[in-house]
Amino acid sequence: MSKVSPYRKARPAELNFDDLLRPQVEYLYRLAWRFTGSVADAEDLVQDVLLKLFPKTEEMLGIQKLRPWLARVLYHQYVDSVRQRARSPALEVVGDTEGDDDPLDTLPAAVAGPDEQAEQGAWRERLVAALGQLNPEQRAVIAMHDVEGYTLEELETMLETPLGTLKSRLHRARQRLRALLPMEPFSSGKRVNA
Amino acid sequence: MECLEFRSQLDDYLDGRLDERPLREHLSACADCRRMVQHAQAVQEGLRKLSPPEMHPAFVDRAILRATRPSVVDAHPRRRALVGMALAASLVLGLALGAFFSLREAPVQTVALAVEKPETVRMVFNSAKPLRAATLSLSLPENVEVVGYTGQRELTWQTDLREGQNLLQLPLIARGAVKDDLLARLSHGTSTKTFRVKFEIAKANSPGT
Repeated sequence: MSKVSPYRKARPAELNFDDLLRPQVEYLYRLAWRFTGSVADAEDLVQDVLLKLFPKTEEMLGIQKLRPWLARVLYHQYVDSVRQRARSPALEVVGDTEGDDDPLDTLPAAVAGPDEQAEQGAWRERLVAALGQLNPEQRAVIAMHDVEGYTLEELETMLETPLGTLKSRLHRARQRLRALLPMEPFSSGKRVNA
Repeated sequence: MECLEFRSQLDDYLDGRLDERPLREHLSACADCRRMVQHAQAVQEGLRKLSPPEMHPAFVDRAILRATRPSVVDAHPRRRALVGMALAASLVLGLALGAFFSLREAPVQTVALAVEKPETVRMVFNSAKPLRAATLSLSLPENVEVVGYTGQRELTWQTDLREGQNLLQLPLIARGAVKDDLLARLSHGTSTKTFRVKFEIAKANSPGT
């Protein structure tokens, strides 16, 4: 018996869109957070992608492997949004803020309790901060390859980027992360409150 | 296999893309490369375990509604300006030999060093609030080294700054004439503050003078 697709071209686009995208939102959010390091920015990014995708609902009905296709759309939206922000002079403001835009503010603070738990919290924050030092393309290749497990060959197709470029991007990103997350170069006790 | 060759293939090794036998043989004989692999694997493992915080419970419904029925709700999500932390206003770097000092506006400080005589330069970072996982990068000019890091002109590490004064003791040694400045770059979130340190180099006093 042939499998009946839940999607119908005759159905309202809203229903098809809901059926197609609702199961993917969490995945998109997770990936967006890995790109941006911030809950608020990740939600904004996913929202922007959904807005962009709704008019393409019919096209999406014909896509066999939706998730990699969505990841690609998310990636391009992310890179575009970072470039757009960089061009805006208002975004260069540095001054006192409430801090709600700082990526690290969205992370749970290291909690009091067992040392191990505190250490894990500190390590997590260091990882997030180190990721924040990478450029958008480097962050994306780390998120998609090292974390989500897409092979470089898959990314070559998904992101329409040559394999050599991806390898070099990955190499630089990993090298930078290792440099940013070294063994503490100064022994303990070097940083003290005066 | 030499270390250089091994390290050029590190990424492929981490991804399991190579015949591992010759690499394993090198690893079993080379403690430095073994440490490098362990470090790389620890970073990768940390990244894989890095799970995002929960999204807002109503986010999925709201996002889909916004996408499909923009007239019902505001089609544009709350747009935040990308602003950084209060680094420019709240951090002060002071540099001195012997007794440290700090200045409100201290982009340039001058430090006296004698050739081949280690001196501990004390850098004071005065923070208005605690900063977790700030990144501090040092770019050293030619002929200045951090003791114990021979030949390394770039040093980067992450640390937490407490509210108030934080002291970093930096053992420096001049190897000869110094023309350029040391740059200390402090980053947190999207903000970076760069401090410049000039050097006055004197020849080390010979014994008895």
